[in-house]
Amino acid sequence: MKAMLRDPSALLGAMLVGLFLLLCLLGPWIAPYPADATGAIHFVIKLKPPSAAHWFGTDEMGDDIFSRVVIGARTSLWVGLSITGIAVALGAPLGILAGFLGGRAQTAIMRATDVFLCVPGLVLALAIVAALGPGLAHGVWALAAVWWPGYVRLLESKALALREAVFVEAARASGASTFRVLLRHVAPNCVGPLIVKASMDMGFAILAAASLGFIGLGARPPAPEWGAMMAVARNYMPNWWWYSLAPGAFVFATVLGFNLLGDGLATWLDPREHR
Amino acid sequence: MIRFLLRRLAFLLLSLAGLVAITFVISHVAPADPAALAAGPDATASMIATIRHQYGLDRPLPLQFLRYVGDLARLQLGHSIATGHAVTADLAVYLPATLELVLLAMGFAIVMGVTLGILAAVRREGLVDHFARIFAVGGIAVPAFWIALILQLLFSVYWRLLPIGGQLPVAIAPPRPITGMVILDALLREQPAVASTALVHALLPAFVLSLPCLASILRITRQEMIEVLQAHYVRTARAQGIAPTRVVTRLALRNAMVPILSMIGLRFGFMLGTTVLVETVFDWPGLGLYAVTSATSADFAPVMGATLAIGVLFMLATLVVDLLYAVADPRIRVS
Amino acid sequence: MRRRTMLTGTAAATAGAIAAPGGAEAFVTEGKRRTLVFSGGQPVPVLDPHVKYDYSTRLMQQSIYDALLKYIDNPPKIIPWLAKSWDVSKDGLTYTFHLVENAKFHNGDPLDAEAVRFSYVRGLKLNKGIAWMLKAHLDPAGIKVVDPHTVAMTLKEPFPGFISFVPWWFIVNPKQVMAEAKNNDDGQGFLIAHEAGSGPFKINRWDPQAAMVLDAVPDYWRGWEDGDANRPSGIIFQVIREPAPRREALLHGSVDIITDMSPDDYDSLAKVKGIRVPDEPGMAPFTVMFNCAWGPTADVNLRRAIAWAMDYNALIAIENGHARLMDSPFPPAMQDHIAVPGIPRKDLAKAKAFLAKTQYAKGGLTLDYLYVAGLEVERQVGLTILAALEPLGIKVNVQGVPWPTVMARGTQPKGGPAMIAVYVTPVSTDPDVVASQYASSAAGSYWGMHHLHDPTLDKMIAEARIELDQTKRAAMYAEIQKRIVSLQPAIFGMLENRRWAMKDDVEGFVFCPIRLTGEVDLYPMWIKA
Repeated sequence: MKAMLRDPSALLGAMLVGLFLLLCLLGPWIAPYPADATGAIHFVIKLKPPSAAHWFGTDEMGDDIFSRVVIGARTSLWVGLSITGIAVALGAPLGILAGFLGGRAQTAIMRATDVFLCVPGLVLALAIVAALGPGLAHGVWALAAVWWPGYVRLLESKALALREAVFVEAARASGASTFRVLLRHVAPNCVGPLIVKASMDMGFAILAAASLGFIGLGARPPAPEWGAMMAVARNYMPNWWWYSLAPGAFVFATVLGFNLLGDGLATWLDPREHR
Repeated sequence: MIRFLLRRLAFLLLSLAGLVAITFVISHVAPADPAALAAGPDATASMIATIRHQYGLDRPLPLQFLRYVGDLARLQLGHSIATGHAVTADLAVYLPATLELVLLAMGFAIVMGVTLGILAAVRREGLVDHFARIFAVGGIAVPAFWIALILQLLFSVYWRLLPIGGQLPVAIAPPRPITGMVILDALLREQPAVASTALVHALLPAFVLSLPCLASILRITRQEMIEVLQAHYVRTARAQGIAPTRVVTRLALRNAMVPILSMIGLRFGFMLGTTVLVETVFDWPGLGLYAVTSATSADFAPVMGATLAIGVLFMLATLVVDLLYAVADPRIRVS
Repeated sequence: MRRRTMLTGTAAATAGAIAAPGGAEAFVTEGKRRTLVFSGGQPVPVLDPHVKYDYSTRLMQQSIYDALLKYIDNPPKIIPWLAKSWDVSKDGLTYTFHLVENAKFHNGDPLDAEAVRFSYVRGLKLNKGIAWMLKAHLDPAGIKVVDPHTVAMTLKEPFPGFISFVPWWFIVNPKQVMAEAKNNDDGQGFLIAHEAGSGPFKINRWDPQAAMVLDAVPDYWRGWEDGDANRPSGIIFQVIREPAPRREALLHGSVDIITDMSPDDYDSLAKVKGIRVPDEPGMAPFTVMFNCAWGPTADVNLRRAIAWAMDYNALIAIENGHARLMDSPFPPAMQDHIAVPGIPRKDLAKAKAFLAKTQYAKGGLTLDYLYVAGLEVERQVGLTILAALEPLGIKVNVQGVPWPTVMARGTQPKGGPAMIAVYVTPVSTDPDVVASQYASSAAGSYWGMHHLHDPTLDKMIAEARIELDQTKRAAMYAEIQKRIVSLQPAIFGMLENRRWAMKDDVEGFVFCPIRLTGEVDLYPMWIKA
């Protein structure tokens, strides 16, 4: 842990993630105009540049952009957690099973995984959301659908290596059931890489969801989702540039934070492989 | 070796077939009436029915699927209902545009990434190294659509240095197609003025597209180089008085090649995905923009066609990387 | 040597490309004549005049093709074009058109009565695009070639609105079309991206997703509006999908006229020196249709409650003041329009009184509002409704979906959304075109998504349609407008102004409200050298 604190980039990552979580927790209290995130309308002050009253300016409905991005953090947290959560829940057991069991089960699982990996995730997600219809929940499902194979790949190789490990062989020799071996010996040893990947993926999932939102397949108005805000904001480029600036910067900071944190965790958990 | 490649190829095709089935199912259960798109706002119910019939949308779903697969076998990907164009013909136009952009971006990312990576590794803790490390994390995390808008704002609106979007200005007729890639075709047709104008238009989108890839290549090059430079044989070579540049290029880079290659293969797919965003912002008439405009108007045949085309491109790239791998590292041939 | 040329070429081109955004890209082709460049966000995937129309498509069709008659000016009037005159039989059934003698197609073929007959039969037979306008009134068998310059059309029943649709039926060259027909497609495959027209411009380069370059026909049979010296050498329709680059293109001078901008963009462009923004009253009603057949909005009192709670001032604010509120289901430029007394305006007390008559006196319900994703104004109206209905305890689920989804969900009454944003541009000044949108027969179409079924109204509309006495007809339509408002099948919203941004040296622009939002007639336009 101390090593991690001495690593400045990991520290920056932890700080950014901490800040992000703080926004999620206290958003409605930090935001000066919380009603602006739920569909208040003030046309009189629409599209005003940043000022003391509105730090990031106002948008096309006269809503405070600062309030909307701050409250939007919650949506992003929810999106990131859901996508990563579903992907882990689906991918991790499949990966461990594939690696540990080997044989036909492994072949079947890995082939199914490859179907989803043969097209770049964002493109497949786009096709899926296009079919399901725009909406944040649909985006989450689509992205989860393209995300789980990564975990299968990761844990398959890990479990494969563990299968031959001495302590696993020993447990088997002493007559433990497959299930018990999996639960007591294999799974706990997969937790490390899983956490590292999940931490990184939190950021990338938020980025991917924002990307779908930017294309116009994201959250429904008036939800203050960062990507959807960008989608509207780009119509107001370049004259009302501040509108696009804030939501994108928040996505950037969040993804950066989770990324650096994941890197730090990786170094901390396995100093040999990363430096 | 050839058997290995053939097996991989067959196997990737199989995956793609699975993908077709999945995309077909999802796109046809959706509550949308694509025929309405073609019929226009003032169409009566009977006019919409005419179009539904024309595209076979009034037939049972399994029959539609069989027909789709049958067409696919003949390399026909159906028709866009919005435009009536054959998707295959559309792809022939849009795919080269995307490929051109991706190749430019990839070339830039490899050259810059490897160069910066080596410089950073050789002069550790130097100015380049610090810059490289910040760039390596920032480049991956930055949202492409956001940085694209910001660069447009700066380079096109404020400084007026680069065009804001498009492939060529309207006053310039594109060269008669050979490959479909405008810059290349213009060079082949000996129209250097057109080629350079097209290149200027491609600069911003290619740069934005290259960012995550550049960052990852930089990072992995730096990491591998540091490792290799510390390795025993390299230190020996240095001690023997072999010129430092020679050590770096010949010995170290050659050993770092395999991980860099695998990163390039991985990032190629990601880059194809990002075209969806970058082409939208820069109005670049490629596959990404085609997929987005079709997806946002529920025009499914083009969405599936674009998905498949991007899938095939990705697949080919993976194969090429596999091949290069085998060349770079003889051990792989065995397995 | 080769290398040297190449280098100079590159250097020059780079300089050109870099200079291009700053300087003007002039399209000087024939002496002093300039090319007019128009830019919008919508491509022209199908040029065929009998298959599809929308603003960008018709802008090109009107430039390449001619019709028997043409709409010009504000208020819109119909002037002779390919037909130099026409007569109507006493029973109002037969229309005889006398064609000009010198009209010819771009390939030199004469434009005769047979071409007119062929085009009308083709339009009716394909049953796409424009077919809805006439197919209830005209059979292919009713179209007769009298002599090479006379064609007669006999309707199934009297229909005084007939002439108002004729300007949208463009004439194609039968010989060219049939020569290119494949698999009985009546030349549809060919006409997607080729032309067989007689209009003032012909295709030079056709890339429907990026740039459509047309050349002027120097010896156009009708001549040029401001004389041959004052015509463009050609026109270009450049597709620029994003508003920001489109705006930049205009400011940089590489484009002469743009459309598809937000109200805020137009306002800021109007302040730029050298650019003018015509601001003309439009005639495309923006309404929010209720689902009158299913769900909570099947109750007319709930519909009225919503209409009275609506924030109408916000509609004008969304357009930055460049809009008028609707005072009738008919736009003001429509024949026989009246201002309907007592049309709802925001009055919360009244809204609550109507709500009290429903089973939702306390609110507590959620209604769907569907709009076409990407249409900014429709999205903002959704947010306005959301805010306006809050005091009634009604929640609104604002959903932007692609057009086909709007159609799929909206044309089924059962389970359909409670509210749908609908823009309809009337393509004719005949009141029937709007009135019939509220008849039961509209079911299944975009404008029929209210699913209103009122036999009394249906009967009134059917009778007014065939009434030949103009005074009686006006009175009938006055009653129809009142009846529609009392049934409240929609929130009658606003008519946004038509705006374009163009450079000051663009000459000959004529506004005609009957054209679609964004559409202009490029024929009389040119650029002052």
